[in-house]
Amino acid sequence: MRLSPEQFWTYFEWMFERNALLQGFLLVLILAVVGFVVGFVIALIKHGPAEGFLQVAKLIRELFVVDIPKTSIRRIGAIARLAIKEAIRKKVLVVVAVFIVAIMFAGWYLDPQAQYPARLYISFVLTTTNYMVILLGLFLSCFSLPSDIKSKIIYTIVTKPVRPTELFLGRVIGFSAVGTMILLLLGAMSYQFVVRGVDHKHEVVAISADGGTGETSIQQFHSHTFTLDDSGEGVTNETKGHKHIVTKSGDKIVVGDSTGDLEARVPIYGSLRFTGRDGEENAGLNVGYMSEYQKYIEGDSLSSAIWTFKDLRPSSFDKELTYDMTISAFRTYKGDIVTPVGGVVVFRSMDGSVVSERFPFKVKEFQVDQRSIPLTGLKGFRNEQPADLDFFKDIAPDGKFEVMIRCQDRSQYLGMASADFYFRARPMPFWWNFTKGYISIWLQMVIVICFGVMFSTFLSGPVAVIATISIIVLGFFGFFVDGIVKGTTEGGGPIEAFIRIPLQSGSGTELDLGNVPLEKSIRFVDKAILLSVQVLSQAIPNFIQLGTADFVAYGVNLFGGLLSRHLTICFGYFLLTGIISYFFLKTREMAA
Amino acid sequence: MATTTAPTTPSVSSTDPTNVIVETRNLGKIYRDFWGRKKVNALKSLDIEVRRGEIFGLLGPNGSGKSTTIKLMLGLLFPTSGRAFVFGKDATDVAKNERIGYLPEESYLYKFLNAEETLDFYGRLFDMPASVRRERAEELIQMVGLQRARRRQLKEYSKGMTRRIGLAQALINEPEFLVLDEPTTGLDPIGTREMKDLILRLREQGKTILLCSHQLADVQDVCDRVAILHQGELKELGRVDTLLKVQDVTQIHAKGLDEKTKQEIKDLIARSSGEMLRMDNPTTTMEELFLEIVRDSDQRPGRRGSGA
Repeated sequence: MRLSPEQFWTYFEWMFERNALLQGFLLVLILAVVGFVVGFVIALIKHGPAEGFLQVAKLIRELFVVDIPKTSIRRIGAIARLAIKEAIRKKVLVVVAVFIVAIMFAGWYLDPQAQYPARLYISFVLTTTNYMVILLGLFLSCFSLPSDIKSKIIYTIVTKPVRPTELFLGRVIGFSAVGTMILLLLGAMSYQFVVRGVDHKHEVVAISADGGTGETSIQQFHSHTFTLDDSGEGVTNETKGHKHIVTKSGDKIVVGDSTGDLEARVPIYGSLRFTGRDGEENAGLNVGYMSEYQKYIEGDSLSSAIWTFKDLRPSSFDKELTYDMTISAFRTYKGDIVTPVGGVVVFRSMDGSVVSERFPFKVKEFQVDQRSIPLTGLKGFRNEQPADLDFFKDIAPDGKFEVMIRCQDRSQYLGMASADFYFRARPMPFWWNFTKGYISIWLQMVIVICFGVMFSTFLSGPVAVIATISIIVLGFFGFFVDGIVKGTTEGGGPIEAFIRIPLQSGSGTELDLGNVPLEKSIRFVDKAILLSVQVLSQAIPNFIQLGTADFVAYGVNLFGGLLSRHLTICFGYFLLTGIISYFFLKTREMAA
Repeated sequence: MATTTAPTTPSVSSTDPTNVIVETRNLGKIYRDFWGRKKVNALKSLDIEVRRGEIFGLLGPNGSGKSTTIKLMLGLLFPTSGRAFVFGKDATDVAKNERIGYLPEESYLYKFLNAEETLDFYGRLFDMPASVRRERAEELIQMVGLQRARRRQLKEYSKGMTRRIGLAQALINEPEFLVLDEPTTGLDPIGTREMKDLILRLREQGKTILLCSHQLADVQDVCDRVAILHQGELKELGRVDTLLKVQDVTQIHAKGLDEKTKQEIKDLIARSSGEMLRMDNPTTTMEELFLEIVRDSDQRPGRRGSGA
């Protein structure tokens, strides 16, 4: 799992420093202007300029002055209750039955010999639940209102003092409540499935003559070796992503429950900068890979990667400061891919006057390298004089300090990104992280319901389904459109791609039709189309970003800041779809 | 058994603007297709008023514009021309619905709810507190005679029962103005009579009723005034008794006359240069006959008819 820097922005940073509030405001402003212009043009055609303007102004006034203030909780509750009853009597619980069947036969298609079974199980239940609940939200929300309109039941609703705001809110709340109930059931079953799936016990099958080492029985396609210290306590090696605590009581050696597979690490990230071989700051080296996720530092030089941490608190740690590294190596020696590349980690105060000793390491590629340093009695230097250091008193008195990594081997390079070094604070309970993963799914479901209800205010059921699916698809593949517009995805826009097919022209080459003006025209039209799609894709939810299954599966605590951001995004779409729905409900003839 | 009484004159002045419940001014509706092309000119320049306390009938054949008029008054459709006002407010104003009850031509209700749930749901839409909803639902279930079916889902109801629960939902808010679209459709003669009696009782309670029907007998029985529509145009508007009165024909109802007296009456008419059109015994209506038989059967179960 690779975390991108924006995933660990704080809520405040995202909202104000990264301009999320401004972007949201601009989006609302653009949509409001577009909505006003479209509404005015329609009213102009129907009623003429003066009357048309008055009609649109009246509509906007009524939203804020009449309909929002007079929206009744009881009426919303009535429509929501009805939506719940409707869903239940239409046998929505079938979804739960389908899910039960899916997990009953999970053993057929989940590999029990996988390297990280817990990760596989968690990904499976979260992904399955995610798709099922999104589909549920889609069908519930898209068909209800059109069905009422088609069966004319809506006549007996809108001839009561029911406001458009209540029609929208009641349905969104009702269907969300149904989805929540289903999600709670699926969540409880999923949790049991994961916990029981990874639960296993080993027996000791071999022990060395001195009783210091041993081997466990094979369970769930793996076994462990273990070591015991003089006090009779020990731990197994890590296999399949977990370890076991081993204890000796009397003559009996007991292998405890697995640890480390169902966890929620709490990473604390810093911001990364680089220095070059002469010690001057630079952007880090590119060793020729297309992916620029990681930047490299040169070995045996002043080239270094420096993380600045701004808020590390003693209360987050026990006796040790644990950190994880995912450093990669780029070798320039020919023929030797075995000898590990080495580096050192140094902790230092912000002014550089206090520096820890060097902690050497050998790069464990494609693995998380977990290490710890003591918080007290740390060897190091104060004003270049050897000293015993207290980490939080000497190096990070106000929680601020730096971590520097250098590569020790000449002509070798170490690669890292911002998220490749982090401290592990006291972990959160797995069940809570699992719950947060489900809250993410819930937010996605609510967004789908909001869009479904919005489309159902002016489209028939099947068309509303197609429109909502389009939003979901664009939400999942919006990055692709973005890539084409920015030129990072090859092949050109829709017209160029369409021409390339019969010409069997490779997407990596420039389009050559032998007619430069024609080629320019095609690119110009493509650009216009793609920019329109890009604007649209900016206005629709990015379901890739909203998905947090990887956090749970990879045992990383889902940051409160990230979840709060998703909650804000969800609320933004709720407002947006609510306002659009209001105008459609207000202006459509229910009996037409 | 309740009896149908003759329509009475509304006890209010028709010239007082506060007594006008519904007013349409030059109201027109053209149905258009997706491309905006004119399909049907359903209603043309309708000017009518429905006054407080009266039963106003909208009469006309299928496609005459009755339902369109009602939908425009309820805000279910928007007028192409003119305007409709209900309680002095624009017909599209949601606030007017607080004082309106509407029974559609078919009972468009949620079939998965039972009678109690249905009335509770519509009560909530009027923002009624729970105790008031329960009380009102109980009253209405008694009134429409659905006590034994109150817990059955509406999908199990007969057409008559569905009509009755439809009426109950229209009355849940004790409306001042009741719009009834074909209220007797699907009802048997007893149900029809009960519905007509109920309509008259509601008027006696001070409610204003707009009734749309093509059952001419129903309209004649209960309406104070009628508007007759045809092809979207208002063809006639006035009091029922006035419209039905044949001005140059005199009707005398007498009892216990012998043949000689009858002949003297005929002679008198001839001497007065009048024309004797008909003199015979009156017949009752089929509705009266049917209700008499059912009433008799209720009182003496098991008795069979002798045939004629």
